[in-house]
Amino acid sequence: MDSFSSSLPSSGAGANPDAVMEQIKAQLAQAYAQEFLETVGNKCFEKCVTKPGSSLSGSESSCISRCVDRYIEATGIVSRALFSSQR
Amino acid sequence: MDNPEMQRFLQQEQQKAMMNEMVGKLTSVCWDKCITSAPGSKFSSGESTCLTNCAQRFLDMSVLIAKRFEMQ
Repeated sequence: MDSFSSSLPSSGAGANPDAVMEQIKAQLAQAYAQEFLETVGNKCFEKCVTKPGSSLSGSESSCISRCVDRYIEATGIVSRALFSSQR
Repeated sequence: MDNPEMQRFLQQEQQKAMMNEMVGKLTSVCWDKCITSAPGSKFSSGESTCLTNCAQRFLDMSVLIAKRFEMQ
């Protein structure tokens, strides 16, 4: 998110606040997605591609696809563990 | 930026960003701790319990560490 402040639309007197908010939202969503993608890639590469060959094998590919699903699920479990009221 | 609506919006987004960062960080830490084998098509009950416990104990620990520093 380093490029965040530099790419904000001009927030001078003429800027429409609604448009600015929309743009901030869109940029944040993109930054979150990008970070998530990077993390998932690192985690699943570590788990599934233990000895990189000349191409991704079928079992590596299916491991990666399971790994991505599980990482998304893990994010939900952690989120619920932190924020659900039944603690 | 003295528009109150904008102010509220920014505060909200900042809070969301903090929560987002915390979930992301804890997921990463707890994934490494709890998911020791190649991921299956479903979490075992042990794995999902470990993830829940891991996240909640991390919070407990943060509180403990904060207290530890309070009393010097």
